Order: sequence, then structure tokens, then C-alpha cells
Amino acid sequence: MWQQIIALLIIIFLITRLFKQRQKNNLAKNEFGLWLAFWIIAGLAVVFIRPIDRLVHALGFSASGITFLIYLAVIILFYFLFKLRLKIAKLENNLAKVVREVAQTEVKLRDETKD
Amino acid sequence: MKVACVIPAYNEEKRLLTVISKVRPLVDDLIIVDDCSKDRTYEIARKTGVIVLHHLINLDQGGALKTGTEYALKHGADIIVHFDADDQFSATEIPEMIAPILAGRADIVFGSRFLSKKSNLPWSKAHIIMPLARGVNRFLGIRLSDPQSGFRALSQKAAKEIEITQNGKAHCSEYIAEAFKKKLRIAEVPITVTYHEFGQNFGGGLQIIQDMIIQKIIK
Repeated sequence: MWQQIIALLIIIFLITRLFKQRQKNNLAKNEFGLWLAFWIIAGLAVVFIRPIDRLVHALGFSASGITFLIYLAVIILFYFLFKLRLKIAKLENNLAKVVREVAQTEVKLRDETKD
Repeated sequence: MKVACVIPAYNEEKRLLTVISKVRPLVDDLIIVDDCSKDRTYEIARKTGVIVLHHLINLDQGGALKTGTEYALKHGADIIVHFDADDQFSATEIPEMIAPILAGRADIVFGSRFLSKKSNLPWSKAHIIMPLARGVNRFLGIRLSDPQSGFRALSQKAAKEIEITQNGKAHCSEYIAEAFKKKLRIAEVPITVTYHEFGQNFGGGLQIIQDMIIQKIIK
């Protein structure tokens, strides 16, 4: 019970921080919505941890509800990590195009000033 | 036929002058791509009067080769030779490398360390890394004696058709894969490589595989 209350207090604190960041315009609307949804789902998971326990057992998993949620969180984290890696690779490619263009323009300018 | 040689250079102040002096007499255009070196590579190259392209940030060898190749194509090169700045390749073999293209027999020529000439390959490279790389290539349907050679010559057609996405060391595999995919006429020419340092290690090999997988996904 106390654990649930502490977890909920932390989530409420993080949600207020989220609203403050949005007010300061540090967060885009989409990103704000995503994080808000995430913390609301986390809060609901904390409130309904017993029904989740029952659901997990009904699905045939031996782990408790909270353990199952941690497994799920790790899987989701890996997915985001993978998405991030792909995004970085795309950014690197775009950056390379810019660097290449600058390198060639530099030589062109050097040649023109020589002439 | 206008022959351009592209040499990517990163922190090569010690050997670059030697390489430039050996290669310059054998080609029409010598293009050095300084890949944001931390030493005096750029200044040294500039003093020699050859074409020097400078990267604002380090892109790695594949990225530098692409910059130089694009530049060579824009300036009317008919044949583009890729060479290393570490003085491991033999410049006197450039005429042999471009000969199949000049004779109209090939669109792209790969130098091979495993044909008739002898190279002083480190043991682990010759007996572990290369057989593994060759195995990966065979799995992809590619049959070449040298799976990772950086010494190559491209006709204008090949340079235009081949699309390189790898900025890192995986570009070697990508050139070979692209040449096969685009059904270019491929030739292999024996080359001699004198190793001063080990070059690509096992970790680097794994990085190549990882880079290739990531590029396949984002392509």
C-alpha cells in the first residue's frame, strides 16, 4: 500500500514537472502528449497492480504483475534504443552530405580566388 | 583518359608526402581528402599543390572516399583510383590496376592480396579475419579472392552507378556488393601490401557487420 502511494506521489510530481516544461515551451505538443500518456499509464498500472497480477497469472506467466511490467519496460526500452540508433544513423548520413558539400564548395572558392 | 586518384587521409602527416610523391606522377588529378585530421595532414597536403578537400568533421574512410569520388566525377575523371594514405599500397601498381578498364575489359578493378603477389599480412588477419570476411561474402553470393581490399579502380560508369552509404570501414564490402548488384564487369589484379600497422582488427570487423545491418534497415 505505502509503496503504491510513494510511487503515485513520484508520478504526480513528474507530471507537474511535465506541465511546467510545457508552460516554458521546452516541450513540443506531441512530446508532451507522449510523456503525459506514459506517466498516466504508469499511474494506472500502480493503482491497478492487483488486477494486473491476476491478468498476468491468467495469461500463464509465473511472474508477479510488477515483475511482468518491468520485463515489458525493458523490452520497450530496447525498442526505443534501436529506434534511436536508426535515427542517429540517418542524422549521420545527412551530416555527411553537408560536410561533403562544404568541402567541395571550399575548393571551388579557393580555385575562384586563385583565378 | 583522365585518371584521378582519391586518397582519404586522417592523421597521416608522417607518410602523406611520400605517398603524394609516389602517386602524383602516375595520375592526372590527385585528390587528397583530409578527414578532419588532428595533426598537420591538411597543411602538408596543401603545400604540395594537389587538390585538397577538407572535412569539417571526421566522417571516416568511406565518407572521405565518397567526397573525393564525387569531386573527381564532377571534374571529368574517366577512371578513379582509390588509394590509401598510409603507404601500404604500392603506387607503381596503379597502371596495372587501371589497365583492365583502359582495355575495356572491366568497369571496376579490385586489388587482391591473395593472388600471385606476396603481401606481409599479419597472421590473424590472413587466417581468421579474411577467411571470415570471405565466408560472409560467399553467403552474399560474392566470389572474390580478397574480400576487403581498399585499393580499387573505377571507371566513370562504375563510379556513377555505385551508391555508397557506408561512411566507415564497411565501404570496402559495400563497393564489392554494389559492383555485383549492378552487374558491373569486375576484374581482380594482384597487389602487394606492406603492412606498417595491423589495420582492421577483429572488433573493427564486427563494427563493419553492425554498420552494414543498420544501413540496410534505414535504406
